[in-house]
Amino acid sequence: MLKMIVCMKQVPMVTELPWDAKTGTLKRELSEGMMNPACKHALEAALRLKHEHKGHITAITMGPPMAEEILREAIAMGVDRCLMLSDKKMAGADTLVTSYTLARAIEIFCADFDLILCGCHTSDSETAQVGPQLAEELDIPGIAYVEDVQINSRIITIKRLSDNFLETLEMDMPGLITLTTRNYAPRYTPIAGLQDAFDEPNILVVSADDLGLDEAFIGISGSPTMILDVYSPTAQKKNIVMQGTPKKIVEELLERFDDRIGSVIRKDLKVEK
Amino acid sequence: MCSARLIMPELNRQYHEGVKIEVDFNPCMKHKLVRKTVREFAEAELGPIAHEIDAEARFPLEVIEKMRPLNFFGLQVPRRFGGADIDSISYAITIEEISRVSGAVGLCVTVHNSVGVFPILKFATEEQKQRFIPKLASGEHIGAFCLTEANAGSDASGVETHAVLDGNGYIINGTKIFVTNGGICSIPLIFAIADPGKPSASASVFIVEKHMPGFSVGEIEDLCGMRANPVSSLFLEDCRVPEENLLGKVGDGMKIGFAALDTGRIGIGAQAVGIAQAAFEASVKYSRERQQFSKPISSFQSVQNILADMATQIDASRLLVYRVCALKDSGKPFSKEASMAKLFCSSAASMITGQAVQIHGGYGYSKEYDVERYFRDAKVTEIYEGTSEIQRMVISRNVLAEPM
Amino acid sequence: MKEDKRSIWVFGDYRNYFQNRVTLQLLSRATDLAKEIDAEVCAVVFGHEVDEWVGEYIAHGAMRVYVTDHPSLKNYSSDIYVELMTRLVKEYKPEIVLVGATSFGREFAPRVSKILGTGLTADCIGLDINEKELLVQTAPAFGGNLLARIVTPEKRPQIATVRPGVFQEIPHNYEAAGKTVYVALPENLPNDRVRLISSLRQPAREQRIEDAEVVVCGGRGMGSRKKFRNLYELAKILGGEVGATRPVVYSDWAEDEALVGQADKHIKPKVLFSFGISGAIQHTAGITDADFIIAVNKNPHATMMKMADVAIVADAGQVCTALIRELKRRIRT
Repeated sequence: MLKMIVCMKQVPMVTELPWDAKTGTLKRELSEGMMNPACKHALEAALRLKHEHKGHITAITMGPPMAEEILREAIAMGVDRCLMLSDKKMAGADTLVTSYTLARAIEIFCADFDLILCGCHTSDSETAQVGPQLAEELDIPGIAYVEDVQINSRIITIKRLSDNFLETLEMDMPGLITLTTRNYAPRYTPIAGLQDAFDEPNILVVSADDLGLDEAFIGISGSPTMILDVYSPTAQKKNIVMQGTPKKIVEELLERFDDRIGSVIRKDLKVEK
Repeated sequence: MCSARLIMPELNRQYHEGVKIEVDFNPCMKHKLVRKTVREFAEAELGPIAHEIDAEARFPLEVIEKMRPLNFFGLQVPRRFGGADIDSISYAITIEEISRVSGAVGLCVTVHNSVGVFPILKFATEEQKQRFIPKLASGEHIGAFCLTEANAGSDASGVETHAVLDGNGYIINGTKIFVTNGGICSIPLIFAIADPGKPSASASVFIVEKHMPGFSVGEIEDLCGMRANPVSSLFLEDCRVPEENLLGKVGDGMKIGFAALDTGRIGIGAQAVGIAQAAFEASVKYSRERQQFSKPISSFQSVQNILADMATQIDASRLLVYRVCALKDSGKPFSKEASMAKLFCSSAASMITGQAVQIHGGYGYSKEYDVERYFRDAKVTEIYEGTSEIQRMVISRNVLAEPM
Repeated sequence: MKEDKRSIWVFGDYRNYFQNRVTLQLLSRATDLAKEIDAEVCAVVFGHEVDEWVGEYIAHGAMRVYVTDHPSLKNYSSDIYVELMTRLVKEYKPEIVLVGATSFGREFAPRVSKILGTGLTADCIGLDINEKELLVQTAPAFGGNLLARIVTPEKRPQIATVRPGVFQEIPHNYEAAGKTVYVALPENLPNDRVRLISSLRQPAREQRIEDAEVVVCGGRGMGSRKKFRNLYELAKILGGEVGATRPVVYSDWAEDEALVGQADKHIKPKVLFSFGISGAIQHTAGITDADFIIAVNKNPHATMMKMADVAIVADAGQVCTALIRELKRRIRT
């Protein structure tokens, strides 16, 4: 039995950011949550390994109560058990403290794991740090940016493209990998799975006290980094607007920017007058 | 000591902070997740082709194949037959979200699940269920319900297709028209009369199988909307149907028909909501972007008023659909409420999609934009599964029968 | 503490030197920052036969280079490199450690910071010193649509991974003097738990979209597959590559390799043509490094048009055809 843990995060589902220009903050309450895309790819990899090796998957998330939704989704997709670390004391954690908290929960509730799978990075904060830091915290080998994972007689073999090098690596169990979104396109959730996901009390909610964690070492107070401010750099560029018939526009474009475009494509675009 | 606890899903919360909630209008987590899941599928798989399958009047079999393992064809079928067995609100949300992207595919799914599969679930013998339901629930077979004929639509007693008892079977003759899913259905339910002298009393429903000699499919209709659905005629020429394929008894036709239509109307209501929602979203987006008189047109009160009406109509439509779903799941009668939902939603959708075209101006009338498709698709929701006039008849009959 | 003077360290990531000169860019930025807090700029190099890099780093601003040179370090190994780095940091206590945000750097730095119990900021696109002499790290979130300014007030060192291409390297000066500190490979090193089976340098493609100077990106606004394929002709004339949005690839108008966006390829062309793209964040996150953007869209208020230097309000397909014709005419003359 291959015992796997998939760590996942709920991120805001955004196509255009609900940004409040007046207060300079993200209107998070306006955006629905979703399972972070890379985490979903990690879950897909775990589900395929489960199918191949008769495995068991525990999904873990840390977040506010509404993060329950991604765990229900994970159950619908085929996860066996869920752990939700949810406590106001855990809020505002940076990656260092997040990995610390996750590690304590794993040690208490699923210490006998063989493989931990994480998404390589989240779509909101994009640090890509929790996976490697979790491996370090648990003192197990870890490999980031994995594109393919195989398991054979307790050896984890992975393929990845790392800085232009196509690498094949292996490590013994237990280990941790973080997956990119390049492979393992997530399956769609079957409707029957959704029905099942809400039929049973199958999510274990865990507080800081359950983990025996001191408030001083978790959440915002335990985090060594501090966010000074957040701002939106995407102000409207002062741009040139062109309108008219395609032919006229194109002539104007190449007339005004013949040097700029010509120098890049290394061709003379000037027309003899 | 560890106090970690297992939690039940937040479903039908009866209490909120100690206060008993009689009616909760907030979608529960399950319904939100159903919506997200179906939307993700529909936008990814149907979104890129919705325009093209309409233009080419092509039924997207490749997407249907992908829908099959996701239980889209056995939405409310019990688990023992391989279905998802979801609640009716989840069902409505599913239809709404597919229809928001492609009305024609939403139509296929709702017709299959409601009038195609539901009557068998409700009226068939255990043996018949075993035979037919699993393959319908998996989507291997697509269902259809065939009532309409050249001289019978709103008036079911005008049906001319007749079944004559012949030994241990029936010989059926007749032509069904405007059959939704006609071109792809493999187990259509055929509405026929056994005694031309007593059409209503002898109305019966037969489970016809595509391979039966004498059964054939006509050409795909060239319709105004829902063009990607293979709506067609079905021909029965001395088609011999064994006794085992009779649904219920001879004479049960009207009962089965009404039950099927009541259920079907929930789906059509949900479908209308989905189409209206798509038209509304397109209108909001366009009116923010489109500038006239150096201002986005959304800054004009005339446009704002339309958007406000659209939003209100959609909200009301959705609530009517969910209300009838809740009634159905609680086992209460829901015929009147289903007709109300269908009547209101379809007429709202028709109006909203028309307004969406208006907001888009010339572009809205162009095939390049999707709103004209919504407009064409929405219209038929006022016609099929009982016209608006029939819905009013059902509603008024119920209203007048109620004690003062 | 062995050193009285504060120091800023740069991790010497040389494996992909010719494609990625981030270490030199960091030495340049470290030199600027060092002036503000009166610190020494140091580089750290692990590997085998790495003298070439030591010289290169001194020529680009390193005043001191810590080197561990051993045959067993020939291949990058995060386990061993992490161990070596944390030992060095514990011994010399740098104020700041900067690591290039390469795949390796982003795997290596989190583990170093974890062992040291200090803060780490990912993929920074800005580094400054504030009035409290703290390193202010500007990091992107939501695909670059938001920027966060982050500090590590108490824990040391302050560690950041930094996006390649953000800072300009300073011209090399082979006359520059710098100390080289050779650190022997410790004897009690643990084994590397990750075994390298094979590592193949990817043959450099003739031109990759990530490196292309001209990219022609198209979205659903091109109207049809047929019209979309015209972008390939345009790209050919311009000597560039074709990029695409997800809906386009889902519709099979373009191949997967063309995907540009947050979860896909990030491009940094000098000129980007954007045809019929509305500008959903999933796509725009991949083009934030484009120098000059020419966008064509019927909708003047599309996000993409706001990001553009030249916003052309017209049908993307028609402008593409007209541009091909006009370019052919001009290039012929």
